[in-house]
Amino acid sequence: MRSTSKKLSVTLMAFGIAIAMRTTMVGQAGPAPQEPRPSPAIDLSGYWSPAVNEDGLERGAGSELGDYAGFAVNEAGRLWALSYDPSRLTLKHHQCDGYVAPYQMRAIGNFRIWEDRDPHTVQLIAIHIWAQTTEGHRTIWMDGRPHPPAWAPHTYQGFSTGRFVGDALMVNTDHLKQGWLRRNGLPESDQATMVEFIVRHGDHLVDTTVVNDPVFLTEPEVRSNDFFRQPADHGAWLYACDDGEQIIGRPPDSVPNYSFGAQPFAKEYSRKYKIPLLSGIAGAPSIYPEFETKLKAATDADALPLLKPAPGPSPISRAIDPEPSDGEIHVWPVSGNVYMLVGDGGNIVVETGDQGPLVVDSGSGQLTGKIIKAIHKLSDKPIQFIVNTSYLPDRTGGNVKLRASGHDPSLVGSFFSGQFRDAGVGATIMAQQNTETHMVEAKLPADGYPTDTFLEDRRRKYHNGNDVEIFHEPHAITDGDSIVQFRQADVIVAGDIFNTTQFPFIDIKDGGSVQGEIKALNDILNRTVFQHEGQGGTMVVPGHGYLADEHEVVEYRDMMVIIRDRVRAMIKDGATLDQVKAARVTADYDTRYGANRGPWTTDMFVEAVYSSLRNPEK
Amino acid sequence: MHRHHLFRALICSTAAISIAFAQPPGVGQPPGPPPAPRAAAPIDVTGYWVSLVTEDWRSRMTVPPKGDAESVPLNPEGRKAAQAWDPAKDEAAGEQCKAFGAAGIVRRPGRMHITWQDDNALKVEYDAGTQTRIFHFGAPTGNGGDWQGVSVANWDIPGTIMTRGGFGLGANGGANRGGALKVVTTKMKAGYLRINGIPYSDNVVITEYYDRFDIPNGDSLLLVTTEVTDPMYLTAPFWTSTHFKQQHDAAGWNPTPCAAR
Repeated sequence: MRSTSKKLSVTLMAFGIAIAMRTTMVGQAGPAPQEPRPSPAIDLSGYWSPAVNEDGLERGAGSELGDYAGFAVNEAGRLWALSYDPSRLTLKHHQCDGYVAPYQMRAIGNFRIWEDRDPHTVQLIAIHIWAQTTEGHRTIWMDGRPHPPAWAPHTYQGFSTGRFVGDALMVNTDHLKQGWLRRNGLPESDQATMVEFIVRHGDHLVDTTVVNDPVFLTEPEVRSNDFFRQPADHGAWLYACDDGEQIIGRPPDSVPNYSFGAQPFAKEYSRKYKIPLLSGIAGAPSIYPEFETKLKAATDADALPLLKPAPGPSPISRAIDPEPSDGEIHVWPVSGNVYMLVGDGGNIVVETGDQGPLVVDSGSGQLTGKIIKAIHKLSDKPIQFIVNTSYLPDRTGGNVKLRASGHDPSLVGSFFSGQFRDAGVGATIMAQQNTETHMVEAKLPADGYPTDTFLEDRRRKYHNGNDVEIFHEPHAITDGDSIVQFRQADVIVAGDIFNTTQFPFIDIKDGGSVQGEIKALNDILNRTVFQHEGQGGTMVVPGHGYLADEHEVVEYRDMMVIIRDRVRAMIKDGATLDQVKAARVTADYDTRYGANRGPWTTDMFVEAVYSSLRNPEK
Repeated sequence: MHRHHLFRALICSTAAISIAFAQPPGVGQPPGPPPAPRAAAPIDVTGYWVSLVTEDWRSRMTVPPKGDAESVPLNPEGRKAAQAWDPAKDEAAGEQCKAFGAAGIVRRPGRMHITWQDDNALKVEYDAGTQTRIFHFGAPTGNGGDWQGVSVANWDIPGTIMTRGGFGLGANGGANRGGALKVVTTKMKAGYLRINGIPYSDNVVITEYYDRFDIPNGDSLLLVTTEVTDPMYLTAPFWTSTHFKQQHDAAGWNPTPCAAR
């Protein structure tokens, strides 16, 4: 042992001397060539405060409504902003909205930055940024890990990875929630991504943000934010937000908004500063120098058409499809013993434990074999229960095979097994009675029909350590919809009542309605609890799309209420369906949810809203 | 005991490495001339750059009302001077370029054209107000007294690891860390930070950093971080960061005369 250490010592000395000699010899031969090396870290650690020498009004008290100058917003973004009423922030589910990362870096407020390093290798794992405003906590992963899949949840701060490029920390962020580009209503969608470059010159830090948002922007939005270093903790932090009632007795389906063209403050901004109305709403041209000249000749006539949707066809969604189409089933852990399975059309939820799995919905039926295999990896027990949230094909398509693969031991040896030979054979399928009725009407395979139906508002069951509650939502997508809540795991399965991929599929002929859909979304919101600053906590599994929490449901509910308000106002004024369609009442949501082909187009959605409001359910 | 051997060996080997790295290449030989600033450039700032007016939009694209100094840390003297702004008077005095001096020109909507005037100086032309600045590396030249003053440039290579006497454990000694262009400008005529007469004095000192970022979508950005220090009119340094997007050609290059309003 002693001999080994001597050898090691000699080796180390020789190694050091060899390197020293090599360095000197290289020097003798002339200037050493610059070898590319991995750029070492710049140190961002410490306490930082923003230098608010730019856009002080925006970042302090807040910009005026109608001031969207310098943003490359498209029609949808502009109209979304013009429809926004700041009173929306009085709604309980918006009071604690966080700031999305790009706006967080722009907001006024102090920051703390620190590093996580592996205690054994000292390698940089992550850089953390804690923001005073809305207590946003960003984690920038520096260890080369991949970004999560498209069906993973979105957060206000998003998912960030970084690397050092030259003297900058370059950060890529995605999986952002919907939030602000500017908090006077200018939206940034949940499809936005951000590239950042953070540089430090002495005690001056600059974070340049480049936001790409295919839904609301026509080109990347570049901004840069300055920070100065504090010598110590400034001790000026905030506290976690709690919501509460701001307006007592307000109807639950009220979302403050302005009809297109009715925003009273857009003109106020231009008149206050004696600048053309076009100033605030021109979009990308307003960013470039040529606009300075154009503005001098601008009149209200140039701007007025921009306050309403342009006539013509509606654009389609520019959002990425979060559902995989690789023919595989992918499992995403939701919370506790609850998992989301994606890949076979609609999302499927599996709850596991010491009893057989409880499965919510069975997908389209195309990949049921792989679904069964995936469930068997999560549990060695046969599927015991299947719950259908509606009769629709993407909810019930795999019922037959899934049921056949399962077994409900609670029926074996019971009274039923003496009465029915097949008691306990196959999984028990639960659903609201109307779901079974529609399946029979649609002549779907009988082996897939629910075997345990209910008629009233709530069905409950304690299973696998969860209080499992099934709530009937009458007249939402159909008249047989349910949502399923796992209390201990804190998960709600929304079925097609909520999704992140399209306008809600309101099936009027089978009992769906706009008012019922809004009520169902509010019922979900009445059962969610956020963890911190309006996000996390109760997770909501959509029928289609990425795993969500209450924020996505709130935005979806808002959309439904706003579009309903527009259509209802037009009906009140005697508008026909064609006139409603021509008014493009969904214009601010088309680039997010619109479709002009496939099973559910924008026109079909507008027709459903119109029809539902013209012929309200009794 | 064997741990002591190991530790001594580690110290010796590290010392040898550190001393070697602490010495400049070619120790014992006549030192070669340092590369010219142009050859030593860690980043390429040359080309046509168009300003992206996404911040302070109203104060840059329009002429704000007199006294509107939003976000500028003016002291009482500065506010008084801002209230005295009289563009007609500036025009009559032939001083339409007061908002196009070195402390304000970067914020004007327009394009920059940056070229190497020679191996030791960068020339920066602005189409807004048809202005030119020269960034000299090394000793300053000229006496200033005009709108653009005298600018001294150097390459700012951040974060050279400090060691004590060249004997440090793991000293990095200036690896390839990227860098920025640093420019310090003084000796200007008094002018305006903004077109509506927000003042700076002839004692102003402007420190700028030019950072270049290449975005994955193929665009390149130039970030100009500016610190304006002017005890006469400001209560604190005035910081702005202005970004430009690179153009592949001179499209849109449109030299215009200064305008006072």
